[in-house]
Amino acid sequence: MSGYAQSTIELAGVEVALCEAGEGPPLLFLHGAGTTTGFDSLLPLADRFRLIVPHHPGFGASADDPEVRSVHDYERIYLDLLDELAIDGLTLVGHSMGGWIAATIAIAQGARLDALVLAAPWGLRVAGHPTLDIFSLPPEELAQRLTADLSVFAGKVPDPPTPEFLADRYREDTSAARLMWSHTFDPSLERWLHRIAAPTLLLWGDADRVVPVGQLERWQAAIPAAAACVLPGVGHLLFDESAGACEAIVAFAQA
Amino acid sequence: MSVLDEIQFYVFNHHHYAHLPPRIDDYASSWVDLPNGEFDPELGHELYLRYTRELKLVEELGFDAIAINEHHNTAYSMQPSPTVRAGHVIATTDTIKILVAGIPLNLSMPNRVAEEYAMLDVMSGGRMEFGFPLGTGMEYWSNAAQINPTVARQRFREALEVLLQAWEQPGPTSYEGEHYFYRFLNPWPRPFQRPRPPIYIVGSGSPETVDLAVRFGAGYSVVFSPIASQLKAFDSLREKCAAVGRTLRPEELLITVIAYVADTDEQALREGRPYIERFFSWYHRVPPRYLSPPGYVSRENFLRLASSAALAQAKRSTWEDMVSIGRIACGSPDTVAETIAGWAVEAQTSRVIVTLTIADMPEEVAVANTTRFATEVIPRIRARAGALR
Repeated sequence: MSGYAQSTIELAGVEVALCEAGEGPPLLFLHGAGTTTGFDSLLPLADRFRLIVPHHPGFGASADDPEVRSVHDYERIYLDLLDELAIDGLTLVGHSMGGWIAATIAIAQGARLDALVLAAPWGLRVAGHPTLDIFSLPPEELAQRLTADLSVFAGKVPDPPTPEFLADRYREDTSAARLMWSHTFDPSLERWLHRIAAPTLLLWGDADRVVPVGQLERWQAAIPAAAACVLPGVGHLLFDESAGACEAIVAFAQA
Repeated sequence: MSVLDEIQFYVFNHHHYAHLPPRIDDYASSWVDLPNGEFDPELGHELYLRYTRELKLVEELGFDAIAINEHHNTAYSMQPSPTVRAGHVIATTDTIKILVAGIPLNLSMPNRVAEEYAMLDVMSGGRMEFGFPLGTGMEYWSNAAQINPTVARQRFREALEVLLQAWEQPGPTSYEGEHYFYRFLNPWPRPFQRPRPPIYIVGSGSPETVDLAVRFGAGYSVVFSPIASQLKAFDSLREKCAAVGRTLRPEELLITVIAYVADTDEQALREGRPYIERFFSWYHRVPPRYLSPPGYVSRENFLRLASSAALAQAKRSTWEDMVSIGRIACGSPDTVAETIAGWAVEAQTSRVIVTLTIADMPEEVAVANTTRFATEVIPRIRARAGALR
């Protein structure tokens, strides 16, 4: 399996890091609110797709964007990216916070998408199945809430955490807080999910303790053409935890 | 002419909830999430009465001002609303100045703070001074999450603009910012003092807060910072003021001191040290994540904090550490007078805020400490001013 080619691109005045691998129809992957585990687990998608993984502004190798005020800033940054790369038909995959961004893009610009995959997406409030407030959770409890398989952090998290590592997390928490500090959901999202016209896959781990799988039904009810795939025993970091996550995307795209 | 000629003493009464939980080490924090079942309203009532007696004594003893402030969800302070408290202090004192330092503007609405503060100034006949803090990180966990710490500093700047415009420009005016929009800024009443009451930016010594003091023509007070960084911030403020043609006056800089006075140094240390240690070990017990909610500081500042926190974990700070970095004056009247006079001269300030009711100190101890400071320390400092002349 080959690695990623790394580059940067300026979008709306911000240097954005891009990781690309593979050839084929384009697949844009929007990551969640942290980059700790990296994106090597997505490389199987490069066997079939032109895989494009940007680091969100304020995350990983991308520059900060203190002008971000809402999810729509990210929506428009990625519309800029699609224009810059001259991509029209694509498979859009979003995980967690990235799932919220992907759903927002699909609501606004659904005609550009061949397919949409929302993996444990953040954004809805579902009674009885609350989204974890990542900010108020004591940091020492976060790892075990994020994943059903703590080995995904092996070699990626220093033990004990170094000040540099903690500062990198603080910076990403800051970027996430620009979007998510004030709510554990997007109050105006559910109302517009009916506008998502692309064939959609809802992908979830049934052991997710951040965005519980109990929220899936509401997404499926609101999006006109939504299939579901639930991975047993898998937590919130489903791409790190299970090869089944990428396999489900490939199978969905072939169907 | 020495800064000591004009020196004034403000007594800072934190209004601690002075009853410690029986098992304090069950709690990792005395802020934000300390269960409020530990607050007993009947004991709280007695404490408000006691602190009112102490503040009246402060006036009787001839201190220049009383200082109070605002904190939330914490045993550190029973003053979530310092304007409510100040209204009562005005009614129970006669002439002493009152420094409210103060409402973090982001947690209220700036026009409302302008109104409430103007009310206090008019009610008291112009006895008020005001300090403007960003608010500790803890306040952003304890108040509505709609106040986002990632934009706290820019929002605070706008709020200050609104408040000062409301006070200084004849209304009605309008204000259009990113965080605040006012169609009719026109507070009734206006402040008693013209053009406005004395104001101070309360900061930790960061360049951002120093710049605010320059931009708004305000004084400056540094809290929660070692002496060396306080002095650096004051120097930087003096230079930046000079660059815009303003001469910073000694009364525009506040230093904050904790003092315990007894007959001898040994006695003071024996009696005072346990309270001062509990002031830090209990009333300042805050996990790092509450100190720095996301975006409250930059990555670089967070890295500095995380690096020093790593050091602190390896070695708990000792009495010597506390005394060497902070303004703690614990000793005989001579020692305390000499120490505080030295700090004032070194910082070129004539305004000293002194905490004399420390941690869970019983009333009789606080009264004795306050009385000794007024009758034995202040005259010695004033005598030094005479001697220097």
